[in-house]
Amino acid sequence: MRDKERLHLARVMKMRAVMHISWEYPPWVVGGLSQELKSLLPEIAKRVRTMLVVRGDTDGVTEEEGVRIFKSASSIRSSPHILAYIHALNIDLLRGASAAIHEEGSVPLVHTHDWVSGIAGVYIKACFGAPLVTSVYTTELTRSKALGSLLSMGIFDIERHCFNRSDLVVVKSPEMKEHLKENFGLDGGKIALARNADELMEAYRGIQG
Amino acid sequence: MRILTITWEYPPHIVGGLGRHVHNLSIHLASKGADVTVLSFTDGTSERHERADGVEIVRVNPYVMRYPDFVSWIEGLNMLMVERAADLGSFDLIHVHDWLTAYSGIALKHMWRRPLVATIHATELGRRKVLSNDSERHIHEMEWWLAYEAWKVICCSKYMMNEVHSSLGCPIDKISVIHNGYDPKLARANSAGMSKKDSRTVLFVGRLVYEKGPHLLVEAASLLKDCRVIIVGDGAMRPYLEGLAKKLGVSDRVTFTGHVDDETLLSIYEEASVLVIPSLYEPFGIVVLEAMSLGIPVIVSNTGGLDEIITDGRDGLKFQSGSPEELAKAIARILDDEGLRARLVENAKSRAKEFSWKTTADQTLKLYKKVLEEYNANDWKPKASARW
Repeated sequence: MRDKERLHLARVMKMRAVMHISWEYPPWVVGGLSQELKSLLPEIAKRVRTMLVVRGDTDGVTEEEGVRIFKSASSIRSSPHILAYIHALNIDLLRGASAAIHEEGSVPLVHTHDWVSGIAGVYIKACFGAPLVTSVYTTELTRSKALGSLLSMGIFDIERHCFNRSDLVVVKSPEMKEHLKENFGLDGGKIALARNADELMEAYRGIQG
Repeated sequence: MRILTITWEYPPHIVGGLGRHVHNLSIHLASKGADVTVLSFTDGTSERHERADGVEIVRVNPYVMRYPDFVSWIEGLNMLMVERAADLGSFDLIHVHDWLTAYSGIALKHMWRRPLVATIHATELGRRKVLSNDSERHIHEMEWWLAYEAWKVICCSKYMMNEVHSSLGCPIDKISVIHNGYDPKLARANSAGMSKKDSRTVLFVGRLVYEKGPHLLVEAASLLKDCRVIIVGDGAMRPYLEGLAKKLGVSDRVTFTGHVDDETLLSIYEEASVLVIPSLYEPFGIVVLEAMSLGIPVIVSNTGGLDEIITDGRDGLKFQSGSPEELAKAIARILDDEGLRARLVENAKSRAKEFSWKTTADQTLKLYKKVLEEYNANDWKPKASARW
């Protein structure tokens, strides 16, 4: 086993907390993800210390239903397209995540949701050796049907990069698992089907073991 | 002192003054004992990891992904730079150059909790005069963010200090002015002065983009009878400029060489009676120092860093920025007055000696030490360790 992998595993074994990173959480609702996390995270918090880093109107730290929430405001208002905006947003999410990690004093398991918060997870894994989990709800291919523009291709490539860097990819349906295996070349062994907090905890333990 | 310098251009990949600045600064910092690692770009034609002139150079290739435009290309490059930086060990300080590497600098600052120093060479608002689309506004906001996040901001002239203060809202006491230097290789090649008094050759050296004002020189050439113009450099404006020369009836007197290597540039300098820098926007203008050190009289527009380097009538001539008529008058004055040329050249040589990359490195190192003193006295420190 390479030193890097040994160190990574050692960190996983010492993990005492999980940090979710999302671009939305109530009251900020963009799509279904916000409500999904609002149901899931308090349940996770009953099982393991849980933090959430999320886009906010201002920077700040609060606690709701056992979840410690680090809000991070967007520094950039103008972007030529969603890809440029997401790159910048993820640096803001990373500001919040870094504040959380340094407050915590140790590195948690990091769980991002779709590519829109995936880049921050890649950064934290690279710099802190955090184990990285990515939930995939949709992909550019399922949203656009085909990669018909350079923007779509750019988003697809970032998705692939984030999924490849992840230790575990979480999906909610067997169809999505097949989609990821077929279109992103992901190994089925690293994709877990998890529809609730218990299944997710089981999937987390899968990485740790 | 271990420094991580992040830059999108570093030899052999050079676009403009930024790359030359970072290259020379890094070499001179290393010669003073600083442990400098440069994290930069490769398109696959340069080494991914090498050591040159005492500097550790690590390059990442962004072409592993596809991008719809330049902004997202830069962001992808920065993302890969952050991942690569994680494998390079610990650093005392991070130094980035312009918005082009602001993303990675800000990300690493927060994860490592190490001070970030930013050099802002030029701004989007300065280059464009107006922010007319979302890409330009995004770049402008990234510049604001960089100035906000940086512990200290370095500018190459007082002009740029004022611009960063006024257009990015950066507090003036956070900005240090550290001038650029110039390449002594060119100066050493000629100690006697190489201006050909009778060649009546007017030289332009620079990128052929609007902000450098090459069109003003072509227009000025049409107002003068007996001079020829050599335009060295390349850029998007070249076809327009060639068409303009034809339209104004001076294409037989205006030569476009394209980009040339240093040796060829030196031989072109040997032919020149005067160097013109007609920039509409020029944060510094390294080329003026090279010409001054070579004993070539210079004419500059009264803007930006050029306005600070040159004193009109003492070490060069200045003309009203944007005016081909005023430029033509200055060219005629310098070509027709041998005594003036000799006087300007003499004064310019001694003025150029006030600038060197060694001085730039000395002042930058002094700033690094000040930043680290402040950082060490501060509570903002990592509480969780990175992989190293």
